[in-house]
Amino acid sequence: MHLPVQALSLSVLLALPASVRAVFQDEVGHIDYHHELLGVPQRETTFFHRPRATEKASLLYTLSDLGVLGAVNPSNGAIVWRQLLAGNGTEGGGFLRAAEDQTWLAGAYGSSVSSWDALTGRNVWSLYLDGVIKDLEVMEITERGGKDVLALHQEQSATVARRIHGTEGHVIWEHKEVNNDIPLQVSTSLEKVFVVTLHGSLLSYNLKVIVLDILTGKKLDEIPLATKDGVQKPEDVMFVGAHSAAPIVAWTDNGMTKLNVNVLGLKSKQEFPLPPDTVEVEIHAPHTVQSSPHFLVHSRTKSGSKADVFHIDLKSNAITKAYELPLLQGGNAFSTSSSGSNVYFTRVTDDEVIVTSSTSHGILGRWPVKAEARKSGAIHGVSEVIKKSGDSYAVRTVVVTDSDDWTQIVNGEHAWTRLEGLSGAVAATWVEIPESEDLARTLEAEAHSNPWSAYVHRVNRHINDLQYLPSYLQSIPARLLSSITGSEGGQSTDKVARDSFGFNKLVVLATKRGKLYGLDAGNHGKIVWSKNANETPSEKNWDVRAIHADNAKGFVTVRGSEGQFIIVKSDTGRTVEAMPSTLFPPVDSAIVVDSDAGPWLLPIERDGKLADVQVGWAPRQTVVTRTSENEIQGFGYMKKDELATPVPIWSFSPLAGQHIVNIATRPQHDPIASIGRVLGDRTVKYKYLNLNTVVVAAVNSETSVLSTYLLDTVSGQVLASSSYEGVDPDKEISCTISENWFLCTYYGQYELRDSQTQNLKGYQVVISDLYESELANDRGPLGDAANFSSLDPVDLPTGPALPSVVSKTFILSGPITSLAVTQTRQGIAIRQLLAYMPESHSIIGIPRMLLEPRRPVGRDPTAAELEEGLSRYAPAIELDPRMTVTHSRDVLGIHNILVAPAVLESTCLVFAFGIDIFGTRVTPSLAFDLLDKGFNKVTLVATVVALFVGVLGLGPMVRKKQINLRWHAPM
Amino acid sequence: MSTDAAPIPQWVTDLNFPPASKSKSGSIPDPLGYHSQSGALSKKQAAKESKEPKSQPRKQPTPEEMDTLKLKKAWEVALAPIKSLPMTFFMMYMSGNSLQIFSIMMVYMAFKNPIMGLVATNQAFERFESDTNKAKILQVKLAYIVMQLVALAVGIWKVNGMGLLPTTRSDWLAWEAQRDPLEHAVSAL
Repeated sequence: MHLPVQALSLSVLLALPASVRAVFQDEVGHIDYHHELLGVPQRETTFFHRPRATEKASLLYTLSDLGVLGAVNPSNGAIVWRQLLAGNGTEGGGFLRAAEDQTWLAGAYGSSVSSWDALTGRNVWSLYLDGVIKDLEVMEITERGGKDVLALHQEQSATVARRIHGTEGHVIWEHKEVNNDIPLQVSTSLEKVFVVTLHGSLLSYNLKVIVLDILTGKKLDEIPLATKDGVQKPEDVMFVGAHSAAPIVAWTDNGMTKLNVNVLGLKSKQEFPLPPDTVEVEIHAPHTVQSSPHFLVHSRTKSGSKADVFHIDLKSNAITKAYELPLLQGGNAFSTSSSGSNVYFTRVTDDEVIVTSSTSHGILGRWPVKAEARKSGAIHGVSEVIKKSGDSYAVRTVVVTDSDDWTQIVNGEHAWTRLEGLSGAVAATWVEIPESEDLARTLEAEAHSNPWSAYVHRVNRHINDLQYLPSYLQSIPARLLSSITGSEGGQSTDKVARDSFGFNKLVVLATKRGKLYGLDAGNHGKIVWSKNANETPSEKNWDVRAIHADNAKGFVTVRGSEGQFIIVKSDTGRTVEAMPSTLFPPVDSAIVVDSDAGPWLLPIERDGKLADVQVGWAPRQTVVTRTSENEIQGFGYMKKDELATPVPIWSFSPLAGQHIVNIATRPQHDPIASIGRVLGDRTVKYKYLNLNTVVVAAVNSETSVLSTYLLDTVSGQVLASSSYEGVDPDKEISCTISENWFLCTYYGQYELRDSQTQNLKGYQVVISDLYESELANDRGPLGDAANFSSLDPVDLPTGPALPSVVSKTFILSGPITSLAVTQTRQGIAIRQLLAYMPESHSIIGIPRMLLEPRRPVGRDPTAAELEEGLSRYAPAIELDPRMTVTHSRDVLGIHNILVAPAVLESTCLVFAFGIDIFGTRVTPSLAFDLLDKGFNKVTLVATVVALFVGVLGLGPMVRKKQINLRWHAPM
Repeated sequence: MSTDAAPIPQWVTDLNFPPASKSKSGSIPDPLGYHSQSGALSKKQAAKESKEPKSQPRKQPTPEEMDTLKLKKAWEVALAPIKSLPMTFFMMYMSGNSLQIFSIMMVYMAFKNPIMGLVATNQAFERFESDTNKAKILQVKLAYIVMQLVALAVGIWKVNGMGLLPTTRSDWLAWEAQRDPLEHAVSAL
């Protein structure tokens, strides 16, 4: 009996890698799609720059509003490299400066300053400092010849300016000014460093310029500037020039009628009038130090834009207005470009690109913008002007449009568009592609009429359908051919239609900038529609609290936290209903409930409060909400006259000192194929399947103890709880629950029980299986009852029926976040845990078999256990690159993974969003019901044809031979 | 008619009186529908001729002796299934419990043979049965049935070993239903 065991263990071992090999190389780009995104570029941190002084080609660099630093190839818009400077959910900001003729870029975000190789994107150095970064400049000229970085930090009641060595990254000098001033910006000239701060109190600030010595950082002078109440908040100072080519500070007065400009180092200011109705003023100055000291003031009025160009006389420090560019309607984006001392201003309007020189108002070039690039208005942009032979110029401009796209226009021609608006997604949902309404209506009509008329109607309908038969027949050869050759002839069309495998689904995506997108998951995530969710763009991020797809009607409802909501058609994006904020009370979330009047989306108001509803709309289920930071309550609705009021049934709070860090709820679609697990000896361990359960993870920050609670959401009963010591409360703790198991992942330090001196430290995942009983072939205290009530006490001394829990903890080789469990149509295929690995920028699919709590510890599995697929428990799980579903793609900043079942049982659709968009299909039990691409249909058809021809040809020959045999009697 | 007798065609004569077979070699088959009677005849004759020298007048056994002989023969037939059983058992043991074409064929034979044997019990002993030994043959038949059942039991043992008999809880798991909760809750967390 030894042989089969060995053979079996061998076969199990051999099968393991087969089941985890997630993506084959030929499937990359076929089943998956990836929108590699940066985020919407910011005006101040986007520029063209040559990564090597010796090379002619320049790259396009940006630090986006999501904190992604990236380089883009301007010729095709492809990403050269990307680095994530910050975690998710940041509010933009940050600084990015390039040093002319140097190989590095300096970036700052939050409190850290770092330097990056411009060509490869490798980190040269990073400094993690105290305080918040307020400005970063490159010091163009230093005494040693290289270039240095000036960083301005705001610390607790102090302003700190530092000079940092450009290539080595150490602090050369530091100047600390202890006061309550608000540091604004830093600027340099040949021998001085200027630190511009705001002095005073809120609503009446004065500017103060501190002059520092460039070599030692010693304070030389302090120049106060009276602003006459013009500066009320730090944002009012709109511009401080970085270097000697633009040594100015500029601010406007309250009414936006005058522009005040001060040349740094002087005590006086100059005033310039602004056009009437100005709402926004931007100042564009050249980025390089050898440029002429000219700058452009872009005044945006309600309807159009106007610009004035000013010259600074560096000797007399006088500012004179040189010329002005006329007021033009529509969206306008100005940008500067310099080559040598020449400065060019490029103006992109809705239908033209105009280039002027800074010295005179003569137009150097004017290109009409072609229709395909004219979709939306430009907000801001950068440009590069190249002087060709003679008086002809070429210009390439990269503009951010109001649809959040990033488009390059070369001499008026549309070159490329990056769909950066897709980045920063905050919510998404799967939507079935709506079937044609007519068919749905007829089917419904047939269902409700009497059988005979339904039959007649159906026959008529089918006869009517015959008119489509010829075109259907005509399409057959093409479909057959495309099926045999493996090309996807049908999918290249733009039409969005369901397919028989269920791969074609829509995803409706909401971004934090208030945009809604409809993506076709079956067609490589192509954008089907996009729209602005708000009529008036708001500065605040869109805090989406609930997104719900009604597949029967084809509607998608998106609710924001301020009470605003929008209902759109899922296939076209047409607005069905929209409600601006503040008309309804702010909501925490929304959930679909069943009522006598049908299912509807119940809004949960702030702090988990529920409003009274009419009796007909009273939810039938218990509604569980989070009523405060540390409390969960279950509400039932009590009928009172016409209204039904929510009444708390139960409430749950974790132990004192703990705060809830994560709550995992069951997925909507979680079918159970088998209610028990068959063990190796053919006995059954029955799964504890209670749909009304959630997992709550609460951590005590002082004692570093993590507790997980499994709650019954009908009764509030704690079904199971466990505690883990040495958990880092500051790192992410996330949980997920599916079928009869739940798992939590955290970072912790674990002391081995058997040897006190040994510590395990790392990212851990603890998985718990729930069974009805510890014994096999036992359905627990409820026995064979067909149903159960969580509220009924079971007549047992033990109280309610509690599950038997089997747990194991594994140590992972890296952190995982955004947990999701694969779903298939009937739940027969094994499940995979999908998670984002933030350190390797990929999504991993860990098979449930690997995270099996019943794996035997400290001994080899018996034959029966081997038959079950259990291998010996090994505490460490290597996050094998073969398990990644993203293959070698670099997927950045994912914070949520959505799954949906396909029609095929083997397949689960995956959609991940965050900064990037990634979608794929996973087959946890391999694609057992689908031929893979490697299946050679040509060979199959050729074999059948060859056999047929052979039979046809050989048949007469054999027949003839047999007859001859009979007749040619040997004589 | 006699006048017509003279022109009898040659083929009629050939048909009525076929020429003697050349009987060259027996390996060549005759055409369809053609029976070389003469050949068969000659073979029979030859057989007779070859047997006749051996055949000697034999003493006819008495009916009692015949009965005993028949009974002996019948017992042999009845015990035949059990004789091959050790071999079958060994082969089944060696073939393992996995589902392969060999073990499936063996199991099929292990069931087919006893069942066919049981069905054909009467035919198996028909030729040994006479009016006088009916009672004794009945015993033999019963023994035969028992033997076939034993062979069947081996088959069942094998099927059980392969896990094909629904004897465990897991075989009936698909008919067990999930317990439905009476109350439902929705979590808006």
